Amino acid sequence: MMIDRRTLLASAAIGLGAPRLARAQGAAHVVGTLFPMAGPNAEYGAIYTNAVQLALEHINADKRLKAPIDLRVEDSQGTPQGGAVGMAKLANVERAVYVMLGFTGVAKAAAPIGTRSKIVMVNGGGVGPDLAELSPYFWNVIPLVNQEVPALLPWLQEKNLKRVALIYVDDPLGNGVLQELRNGLPGIGGALVGDYSIPPATQQFAAIAARVRSARPDAVYFASYGAQQSQIIKQLRDNGVSQQILTYSGGGIPSVMALPEAEGLVFTTQAADWTRDDPVTHRFVTDWRAKHNSDPSTYHQNYYNAMRLFALLAEGLEKAGKPVTGETLREEMLRVRSFALVGGNGTFNDRGMLSMPIQINQIRDGRAQKIA
Amino acid sequence: MLFLQLLASGIQTGAIYALTAAGFALIFGATRIFHVAHGATFALAGYAFLASSQAGWPWPVGCLLALVAAVAFGLAMDAFVYRPIQRDQGSFFTVFVAAFGMTIVVQSLIELAFGRGFEVVNTSLTMARQVMPGVYLADVFWVAVGVALALFILVTVFLNRTRAGIGLRALSENPELLRAYGLSSRRLSALAFGLGSALVVPGAVLTAMTSGLQPAISAQVMLISLAAAVVGGIGSLHGAALAGLLLGVIENLVISFVDTQWSAAAGFVALFAFILFRPSGLFGRAVVR
Repeated sequence: MMIDRRTLLASAAIGLGAPRLARAQGAAHVVGTLFPMAGPNAEYGAIYTNAVQLALEHINADKRLKAPIDLRVEDSQGTPQGGAVGMAKLANVERAVYVMLGFTGVAKAAAPIGTRSKIVMVNGGGVGPDLAELSPYFWNVIPLVNQEVPALLPWLQEKNLKRVALIYVDDPLGNGVLQELRNGLPGIGGALVGDYSIPPATQQFAAIAARVRSARPDAVYFASYGAQQSQIIKQLRDNGVSQQILTYSGGGIPSVMALPEAEGLVFTTQAADWTRDDPVTHRFVTDWRAKHNSDPSTYHQNYYNAMRLFALLAEGLEKAGKPVTGETLREEMLRVRSFALVGGNGTFNDRGMLSMPIQINQIRDGRAQKIA
Repeated sequence: MLFLQLLASGIQTGAIYALTAAGFALIFGATRIFHVAHGATFALAGYAFLASSQAGWPWPVGCLLALVAAVAFGLAMDAFVYRPIQRDQGSFFTVFVAAFGMTIVVQSLIELAFGRGFEVVNTSLTMARQVMPGVYLADVFWVAVGVALALFILVTVFLNRTRAGIGLRALSENPELLRAYGLSSRRLSALAFGLGSALVVPGAVLTAMTSGLQPAISAQVMLISLAAAVVGGIGSLHGAALAGLLLGVIENLVISFVDTQWSAAAGFVALFAFILFRPSGLFGRAVVR
């Protein structure tokens, strides 16, 4: 087929002008994800992304928005440096108005950049207590560890697990857990009998297991993430630590559940009742099971909710004839406050924290079961 | 008792480090190629063993599969990456970037095939039993130590007693003279890559059983190999093996004196100390300029 010069020039002009035209019409809502997609924490990136994808499928099927959602993906690598670089790109190059992220270190590095550009950032994975007050544009759809640890204490008292040893990554998450256990255990007549900090890249735990054994705890709590979690559990069990092992919501990932040594592991999460019959939860659980042939985890719930929240806010703004920007999204969130999400109606406080009850789970036969 | 336990854990960790570092040192010593993709060889061997285990095949088949994967990758790197670069007078950095790129390719392929999560080969060998009050040892301790010793004896005999082994040692010194004696530097280079890659297999298999695998494991392996190669004396196989053992023992023993946070850092403090006070390493030769 021959293309004459005039057609070629006209096509080029349309091509060059298209993005400007699209922007002028507000053609797409640019939404970003800043998840660890490579490295030892990449498993989380895959989990978070699967949940966002399901939410997008539902939003598109419902034709909820007039303008489509343009999803831009950046790899945080689970590190603060990766978080800062990725957020800068989403803010300055992609011009995202709403970014979903995870990991405490990543969130703390990304938040100042996002706040400067007035981008709403939603965390569904990081649980460091500092995330509660990072910025008016930083919201959490996951309970933080200063809510998770206190919820575990009555169960420890009931099971007479008073002497607790802690293995923790020396970062805001780990230090948050250390602080909560130090402050909370005396209240139930218990004590922190040993605390062992580790760098995020450590892979050998036989020596730490020896230190834990010598402290003779009733239970061992670990605060880590990614592949390191499985390494800690396996090496503790391999090296003669037979006591009850405890952790926070980070333990609820498939690779931990599949580990034979993780049988009996107790971990806290937000309340997740997949038998609820409200339409949002029912649809999420049914479609998740059909698509992935397994039950969703609370991380899936959180990032589905984060994506759905954007659609609900943008829908409200579109109906009101307002532009969808970080500022207007925040105004809309503060105006509406309560949203129909997976797990029931979720209500945000002034700081952008979604309030949710906590439950205690135990891994039995490779599956998480609620025990309290 | 805690000291004894930490020493035992250190020896087990160190034996695996020694096996990992020795291959890197052998390749660098013979070819002077900074084989950054050695970590990828380790990952490939570990995942090959894992695949075999998941398929329900017996462990000797898994080890063989790991050996084939490691050696094939090492030979392919030599033939299709390093040799073409060297033919075009590629610099050290060209080699480094090419090898680094291959490491990322291998990592991505592993992620595609096995997912991004943690994987481990379950075996009763890793379950420790109390051998005296406060000291726990698993059978894998004896396996690691035994395999490391046996392999180093075999490799030492090969390097010192065989024509190919002596040629390998001479390769880095004077390739021209090698040719005069009728030896092919190309074949010897392939031998170095094959042997060096094969040496990684026991470490990879033991790691798959003890601390487990994840696709990004290459970086950690390279870090240890590099540290051991520097502490042991660049290019010295025995130095790297001894340094690997030393790093493992230091990493474990140090936590009886300092916070557990400093365990991994302690090995690198030793590395800095060597760079400052004995730059030629344990077995390296000092060079007068």
